[in-house]
Formats: sequence, C-alpha cells, structure tokens
Amino acid sequence: MIAEHDVLVVGAGCAGMRAAIEAFDAGADVAMISKLHPTRSHSGAAEGGINAALGNAKEDSPETHAFDTVKGSDYLGDQDSIEIFTREAPADIIQLENWGAFFSRQPDGRLAQRPFGAAGSPRTIYAADITGHVLIQVLWEQVCKRDIKVYEEFFAWQLVVDDGRCQGVICWDLLDGGLKTVGGKTTVLATGGAGRQYRVTTNAYACTGDGMAMALHVGVPLKDMEFMQFHPTTLYPTGILLTEGCRGEGAYLLNKDGERFMKRYAPNALELASRDVVSRSEQTEIDQGRGINGSVMLDMRHLGAERIIERLPGSRELAMTFAGVDPIYEPVPVRPGAHYHMGGVATDSDGATELTGLYAAGETACVSVHGANRLGGNSLMETITFGRRAGRAAAEWALSHTTIDVPEAVERDAERRLRALLDRTSGERPWKIREELGNSMLENFAVFRREEQMERQLEIIRELRERYRNVYVEDKGDVFNSDLTQAIELGNMLDTAWCMVQAGLARKESRGAHARPHDYPGRDDVNFLKHSITRWDGEAPELSYSEVRMTKWEPEERKY
Amino acid sequence: MQVAMKIWRYDAATGERALREYEIDAPEEATLLDCLDIVKDKVDGTLAYRKSCRMMICGSCGMRMDGAAVLACKTRMFDVAKEGRVPVISAMGNLPIVRDLVVDMDPFWEKFKAMKPYLQPGYDRPEDGREYRITQERMNAVKKEALCINCGCCVSECNAMESDPEFLGPQALAKGFRFVGDPRDAATVERLEQYSGEHGIWECTRCFFCNERCPKGVDPRDAIAKLGAEAIRTGIDRDMGAKHAKWFVRSTETTGWLRETELVPKTQGVVSSIKQMKFALNLIKHNKAGLAFPPHVAANVDEARRLRRLVLAQGRLGSAGHIQGERALAKLEHGHHDGGDPYGPGSFPKPYLPEDTE
Repeated sequence: MIAEHDVLVVGAGCAGMRAAIEAFDAGADVAMISKLHPTRSHSGAAEGGINAALGNAKEDSPETHAFDTVKGSDYLGDQDSIEIFTREAPADIIQLENWGAFFSRQPDGRLAQRPFGAAGSPRTIYAADITGHVLIQVLWEQVCKRDIKVYEEFFAWQLVVDDGRCQGVICWDLLDGGLKTVGGKTTVLATGGAGRQYRVTTNAYACTGDGMAMALHVGVPLKDMEFMQFHPTTLYPTGILLTEGCRGEGAYLLNKDGERFMKRYAPNALELASRDVVSRSEQTEIDQGRGINGSVMLDMRHLGAERIIERLPGSRELAMTFAGVDPIYEPVPVRPGAHYHMGGVATDSDGATELTGLYAAGETACVSVHGANRLGGNSLMETITFGRRAGRAAAEWALSHTTIDVPEAVERDAERRLRALLDRTSGERPWKIREELGNSMLENFAVFRREEQMERQLEIIRELRERYRNVYVEDKGDVFNSDLTQAIELGNMLDTAWCMVQAGLARKESRGAHARPHDYPGRDDVNFLKHSITRWDGEAPELSYSEVRMTKWEPEERKY
Repeated sequence: MQVAMKIWRYDAATGERALREYEIDAPEEATLLDCLDIVKDKVDGTLAYRKSCRMMICGSCGMRMDGAAVLACKTRMFDVAKEGRVPVISAMGNLPIVRDLVVDMDPFWEKFKAMKPYLQPGYDRPEDGREYRITQERMNAVKKEALCINCGCCVSECNAMESDPEFLGPQALAKGFRFVGDPRDAATVERLEQYSGEHGIWECTRCFFCNERCPKGVDPRDAIAKLGAEAIRTGIDRDMGAKHAKWFVRSTETTGWLRETELVPKTQGVVSSIKQMKFALNLIKHNKAGLAFPPHVAANVDEARRLRRLVLAQGRLGSAGHIQGERALAKLEHGHHDGGDPYGPGSFPKPYLPEDTE
C-alpha cells in the first residue's frame, strides 16, 4: 500500500471531481485516482447542456422536471431518487455558476435555457455547445483551488474487499509501471460508461466500463444493464456526437427525400421527442430504404449562419472536420450510435452500493433516475447532484471510521494475476477481439433487438471471452504501457457486455431503449415494471429483479 | 489508402532514440490518431501515445507532425497519403519526453496552477442566492480563452519558453486572462501584479506561433496582449516590457513615429542606457539612430493622434482594444464562404412535412 486516504474517488470526470470536492469540503482527506488527467475525462465531450428547473426562460418547476424524467424513463426510474434529483438540481447549477462556469446568458443576464427532447419547458442550461467542457474546467479549477491529490494516469484495476467492506483500490501505474495499492476508508466509483463495446459510439476510447466491471467482480450488483441509449445524431461515419442542442435550436431530421419523417412517429414533439423514440424512427427510415448510406440527414440550413456560429460552433466544427460538411450549406449525415448507459452499479440515492464503503456516481452508477431511457441534459445534472451526494455520504462514513486494512494476500494475488497476463509470450492480440465485439454488439444488440440475435450475441461473447483468456500483451515495459491497460479494458467490456445481453434477452417487452418490435412490441407493466439486477457468481452473471420505487406517478402510455 | 509515416521512438529505460518508418493500410477518412491506432494494433504494440475522446475536446493527443504541433485526432491523413508524403511524427516540444509520443505534463500543470486558476469573486455568492447577472456580451470577453482544452500545442511551439523554461507560457497566461477578463472575478489587480512579474506577460516574444498552432482558436498570444494592456491600464507598468509598450504609444502620439533613441532610456532606465553607450554610438555611426533635435515630426501626425483620441473616446484602453488576430474560429479554420445558397441548384431537397405531399 503506497498511501491511505479517507475517501478515494475513482475516475475524475464531472461526477468524480464533484464527489471529491464535496468530500474535501466535508473535512475528509480525499484523493482521486484516474487513468486520464481529469480534464481529459469524457464528461468534457458533453455538448448540449444540463437540466435544472430554474424557470429562467419560461415557468418551470422541479415537479414538472420530475414528471418529464419519469415519463422519459418509461416509468422504470426510481421516483424517490428522481424527486431528490430535480429538487436539488437548481441549487447545484447556481453553485456551478458562482464557481465561475462559463454558461450562456439570456438578455437580462440570467442563465439561458434551451428546449431539449421530451422536456415540458426550456430547461437546459448550456454553454454554447461545449457545456461538458465548461463543467470539466470549472470543476478542475475548484479541485486545483483545494489542492486535492490526484493519482493521475493510475489505472484502477481491482477493489480491495476485506472484512466485508471496500478498503481500497489496486491500480497499475501507467507512468512508472507496477501495481500500486491505495487504501481508502470509502471508495466512490465514477468511471463513466462503456460505449466502446459498440463500433459506432459517441464515447471516448476511455469509456470501457471499468468501474462497473470492478464492482461486478467483487460481487456488487449491477442494475438495468440492458438499457443502452442510442443517440439519434451521431456523425456518419465516425459516430462522433452532434448535440441534441442542434434540434433544440430548431434543426430538422430528413430522410433521403427531404421529408421531416418525425411527423409520422411523434406528431407533436417531432424532432424533440425522447431519444429512444427518435433513434427508432431513424432506424426504421434507414431499414425501409429511405436513408442515405445508412444515415438520415440533420438539416440546420434554415437556422442561418449567425445562429449556427453563435449557438452551435462546436457541432459545426465537428461536422466540417469529420464529415467534410458545413451545416450552414448542407445537411449533415447522422445515425443512431451507442451513447449512454442507463444501467450501472446499483446504488441508493446517496450513491451507496450494497457493499459497505463502496459508492458510485455518474454514468457508472444506476441510481436510477434514467430508468429505461435518459432525457438529454439529465446526465450532466446527475453527475453533479449525485456526485455531490455520494461524495458527502462517503466522507461522512469515512470520518466516523478509522481503520484501513489491505491484506498482503490480496496484493500478492493481484500481482500474480497481472504477471500471468504480462509474462504470456504468445497469443491473440486484443484488437481483433475488440473489433468483433464492437461489430457484433452493433449488429445484434442495438436500437432494435431480436430474440435470435441476442442469443447469437451471447454465443459470440462467450467465444470472445474464451479467446480473451489467451490475449497477448506485446509491450512488456513499465513506462506508459497502454498495451497492457487496453487489454484489461477489453476484459471489462466483455464482462459488462455479457451482463447487458443476458438482461436484454430476459426482458420480454419493449421499454425505453430496449425495443423488441418483432416479438414483444408493447410495454408489459405486469411482468416487467422492475429493475434487472445482475450479480457475478464467480464465473458468470446471474440475473434477478428488484422493485421500482414509485411515489406519485402511475405508469401511463407514453406518447410524444 | 496506404499511409507511410516516420515516428520518433524514445525508450525511457535506455534513453535510446530512433526514427522508425511504418506503412499501413487505413480507411480514407482516417486521422493521424486512427493511423497510430492501426500501427499499435497490428504492427507494434509497444508504441506509446495518449488518446481519449478522438473529437478534439479532451486534449490528450497533442504531438508534432513534421515539426508542428497538432491534435492527432483532428489531423486527416488523406491529403498527405495522396501526395505520397511521409510525415515525421514526434512528441511535443518544451516538455520532457516520457516515452515515444508521451510527454511529461507536470511542468505544464505547475504553471497552470501558479495562475490561481479559479474564480475569486468579491463575495461568496450573490445576495439573492442566485446566479451573477451578467450579459452575454460581457462574458464574451473571455469566450476564446474558455475554449482552451489544455492540450499543450501552444506550449510545445513557444519560442520564449525554449529560451526560458520558466516562462509561464501561452496556455497558463490564456487561463489567466480567462479570469482577468471575467466580470465576476475580483482579484484582477493581484492577478495582473503576479502575471506581470518575472517569467510573466512581458516575456512573450510575440512570435504568434501559439495562435498559429492552437487547434481550438484560443489565440493565446491575443490573451497575453490583453493581459499586457490591462496591466498598463491598471497602472501596473514597472516591467520593462510595459514601459516599452507605453513608449511606443507616447512616441507615435507626439511625433507620429517611433523615436528609438529615446526608447532605451525610457524602457530600461538611465543606468542601463549608459552601459549600452558603445552600442548606441555604433548605431549613430552607421546612421541607424536619429539624433535630430527637436525630433522630426511626421507630416500626418494628426492621423496618429486622432486614432489615439478615438481609442480614448470609445473606452478601448486595455483588453477591449484588442482585436488583433481576432478570428471566428469556425470561419477561418474551415473556409466559411458567404453568399452561397443552401437551397440552390444541386443542393439537398428542401424539407417538408409529410402532409404537405398529400
């Protein structure tokens, strides 16, 4: 063990930094562990905005925000958590502004708010179309102000569980090499999503489900893993995100004839229906031959140069750089791409998991405020509100307990497993397994899901995991051995993908992002108004279910 | 397409450096980062470089291509491959190399942290417990600085830092202006005092390499110029650099041209000027320094004076006067062409709602 802290935060994106700041302010000795420098985290790539019922643009209330979120979740979200979320969000936003966040303003000088999908009021606070970047910067500034310790480019690999509680993290030191154990009275997982399981994704290379896999491997349950959100507007061919803010500002979705096809699927909300609805509509257009190169078109021409340059400069830059298209003059080819994991490590509304001393927040966690489908702008808000709550809870527990014990046997065992991987002198390089996982997940477990495809995908994952046992790390060095960490990441992706497909196969209904139009086209509240829970039994994931926490909203049919 | 490139490899353990050539097959839309990935996956797993978002927002993949700093993810390889060029890829400059294309960013972040890079408002929060009320126009004073992703491309190219490694440098100073220009920040004077010290604002040599190489249009040199102007406006002008700048203004305002003979004593003081007498005499001997008294006054000096009066009348002393090098990122970077018709001949069909066809 190289060091001990009261609170360890694994991951340093928005949720991680917010948790660390809160734990620090609560008086705890806190440190962050991250495989990337904090500002490199993928929260920074969020574009469109962050939701809180400030009511600046139009009358709004936490109540309305909560209802929109419940409905958006296809009634799978836990309503008590959602109520906490929408009630506390406005104060969190004000705090970010007071800390110096560079948000966009309305003419009277207050924070501007733009319309987003499935929201009853313009509720999304934004900073042009680089909102995530602005949040990452302001949180990093606050981390610098507090001089919070960061174990930078430390790759968290395994949680230390002893005496029935989480007591630290075993990491691979990317810069200097070697396994290093950092002890913590409590640990907050904030490692983000796992979108890299798919070939077409908005996610960074770093989004490989490390936190979910670490929790899974020590027996902590994951929740609602079948729900992967497909974002309707990812750039063809790279999958790079174009914000929902484009549609919030008024952009159209067109098929190859120029028809605004959303009118046929969501006659009222049109392009601003919820993401699952829009992605399915696009996929239907594409599947029925009304797309172009497997894409539909995002048309901003009518917005005019001035508005595009002022409100959507980043999206324009992305479209020009990666698709060679200037949205002022031409529509941009887009298609649904894997974007956000609604599921994750099961937590209560304080971020606490089933394992004492272990907390989770952000995309890694499933609180669950997003249920079966997340609303745009709710994930950044979740990182802040639940990052703060998890940081507070972790600090309070840590400050009332004293000891940390990392048994040497645990460290020795980790060392042995690592050596087995590093010392292997031949085998299969990771890239082919990774590519096959990405292609097959996209083919068999994407926007629309079929029983036989999901079964085939389970087979594929089983075979890939078999091949992975013989994965070969070519780099044997200590300094910046990203060959090693990429191999470990692949293992994490395979295990979490297995959980997802297994849970998907068992959910015999269509709800939110889980759509089975061919065999179970409707929502089945009698049998499936419940969370899936996945546990690792040592060899394989095991599925069970838990109740959805309801407060005041009864399930209704969902129309936009 | 076939892509060939040479990569400077560096082994930290042995200190060995080698230029290796790689040839790969890549899709036409491939970026430099995609090409490095192909090398790492299929040719040499030991190649080390940083990456994450691949959409030019995380700032991980700063490196040099043919000696100039780029973000690997932003650099398309199609033209390079088509021309058959073999670019040389190397680690960023001005930072110690850890391995291959990975540099040690610690010195970079130390300077960042030295700027006190966080808002220091005059009071904890507005009295009503709400956001500060500020117009977009006032916030826009730091719009470009707020775009910075800390990739290090500007630092890599900084000529001043090459001669003084302790120079705060373009990214830290741009971050500094991010707060000096923020109407909510109340520590302006303290900041300007600090940034005007040794290794600060006035050490910049104005080579503009940082503006040239910034992949996000932050234009750090402009930020440094704005800091300088703000410092002078606030009366923080002890540094020779500030005095130098002030003399330029004074000289052009009075005679319409730059009186170099007086520049040295005004900037460096009398003692230092005396020490440089020999150099000055040499200049006079070669007719390189004017000694006319009273000094020559330019014929249309009024123009310079009018300009000066305009600056004062418009309240454009300080950073508000700096429009030099200003560019709308999207316009210049990607060749914005005005006047085209997005619905003209050959364009994508006009949008229509389904019932319009009935």
